Amino acid sequence: MKLLTTTNRYYLALVTVLFAVGTGALYIGIQHALIEEVDEQLELHHGFLRQRIRETGALPPVTSPSELTISRHPRPAGLSDTLIYDPTERSQVPFRELSFSVQVRGQRYWLTLRKSLIETSEVLGVVLGVMFTVMGLLFGSLVLLNRWLSRWLWAPFHRTLASLRRYRLQQPQALELPATPIDEFSELNQALAQLTQRVTADYRALKEFTENAAHETQTPLAIMQAQLEQLMQLPDLPAAAASPVRELYRATLRLSRLHQALTLLSKIENRQFTDAQPVRLDALVRDKLGQLQDFLDAQRIEPVLQVAAPLSVTMHPLLADSLVSNLLQNAVKHNLPGGQLHVQIDARTLEIRNTGRPLAGEPMQLLGRFRKHNAASDSPGLGLSIAQQICAHYGGQLTYTFNPVGAWHTLRVGF
Amino acid sequence: MKVLIVEDETPLRLSLLDYLRHDGYVCETAANYQQAHEKIKLYQYDCVLVDLTLPDGNGLDLVRTLKADNSPAGVLILSARDGLDDKIQGLELGADDYLAKPFHLAELNARLRAILRRRQFQGQRHLAFRDLMVWPEQALVLVQEQPVTLTRKEYDLLLFFLTNPNRVLTKEAIAEHIWGDAADMADSFDFIYTHLKNLRKKLQDAGADNYIRTIYGLGYKLMAEE
Repeated sequence: MKLLTTTNRYYLALVTVLFAVGTGALYIGIQHALIEEVDEQLELHHGFLRQRIRETGALPPVTSPSELTISRHPRPAGLSDTLIYDPTERSQVPFRELSFSVQVRGQRYWLTLRKSLIETSEVLGVVLGVMFTVMGLLFGSLVLLNRWLSRWLWAPFHRTLASLRRYRLQQPQALELPATPIDEFSELNQALAQLTQRVTADYRALKEFTENAAHETQTPLAIMQAQLEQLMQLPDLPAAAASPVRELYRATLRLSRLHQALTLLSKIENRQFTDAQPVRLDALVRDKLGQLQDFLDAQRIEPVLQVAAPLSVTMHPLLADSLVSNLLQNAVKHNLPGGQLHVQIDARTLEIRNTGRPLAGEPMQLLGRFRKHNAASDSPGLGLSIAQQICAHYGGQLTYTFNPVGAWHTLRVGF
Repeated sequence: MKVLIVEDETPLRLSLLDYLRHDGYVCETAANYQQAHEKIKLYQYDCVLVDLTLPDGNGLDLVRTLKADNSPAGVLILSARDGLDDKIQGLELGADDYLAKPFHLAELNARLRAILRRRQFQGQRHLAFRDLMVWPEQALVLVQEQPVTLTRKEYDLLLFFLTNPNRVLTKEAIAEHIWGDAADMADSFDFIYTHLKNLRKKLQDAGADNYIRTIYGLGYKLMAEE
């Protein structure tokens, strides 16, 4: 939920409670004041009537029976409320009445003065109407104000967010956050700047470490390989030693291949391949298939290449080479003797389909590092990871599907 | 032929020295930048093998010095830094070739020979081995003076053997020399055997002995004597 929506909800709740209480208090207050006013008018009228009776010595004439009645029967003196049927309004109407007794020519009369309260309820209606209108206006303007605030006041926050989204650890320039006069945001920006500086420093240290480790590993590997090759040259190398020497030699080569693949992967991840140029992948595929001819012949595979449209991708030539080699080598290596290999290229995709052994499990998992179809294989199982990493590096996508009918493995690169 | 080996790692330096001396090169070594710099200033070499990461300097500076002195020596860079930049920079400075560590000694030897062949204009430019004679410039192979037609792969294979005679060449080194990076995918090296079989057959049909021997469990060897 957005911050604005949340604050608006609280505002709405608060405004509703305040208005309910306020309206209640106002209603009671106004009603009280109005009745007081009516009572005062009744008292004034009462005083006026008594004076007139004293002066004239006669009862006043009854012009409107709803406003004044004269009775000979005793009534409780004082103010009270009553309801009287009003023929014009055709309903019971609330009245306030004041009763008192007077002595006219030795005779006692009870007079009742009345005043309608119908006008007061109309006044209340108007008051409440105004209140609700004000409440609506107030709330509406609050919402608008908040919107404006979020657009203007929160702008630095949104700018910070956008910079953070754009920020890449690998890029050389530091995170740039716009200056803001609002304390909270400038504190946030400061904290973020410090955080990214620390993270960048750690990242650089790690990268340097990886590079140094890579370099330091190559040298002993070179020594091992050279010494083992020297050992193999010995004319009197005992037959019993030949096999271990050969195994050591093969293991050294494996280690060195693994090491090269891992170094390449970490270089791609570190985005150390920045130079890019348009590379024609269809031409590259043709080249690579030519280079693999001996391997294809050995497996009796005749590759089929269909180019619907040339595929040109802007990427580092070395990575383009690595991508195509890894995919094609994978398709040859895991093919069956006399199997098939189809390559289809159009302006956006490169699809390599090959026959192979049936696959159990999720094919996409084979794109993970050290995942091998054949666990006993000598290869480190990094070829497809490298291909995937290269695709991801250039915003492409590598998908692996398997069709059990005919045991077709399909690797598809979409750009 | 005089070769200077600049390599700070003693075991590797000794292996290189041993391998190249065995092949009839006159070798000198330098374990650091200082020694190497002195030697290239004092003496003439036919080729210099330069390791880029030296404890007291950068090997690329040695290449610069050689080129500034107009030295006729060939330069082969050896580097543990598998960086493309180093390779490009080294070749731009005038180095003849670049080999990333770890490498096969036979591969190093083949590259070194190729550099020397290219640079030695006055010397003999063919390779001779018993009844065999190869003129790399024309890619011409003669057995007992008669030309033999070989496929590209068979020719590459023969040349690799000829540059490393009397050496056990592992299948891996052969595969890497001929098929490059694609050799990685070869779990079995049966197809090497196919090419080798064809090469042997063509040479024997032309009247040569079977020079290329299988060394069981290790690889193949071009034999100088019966």
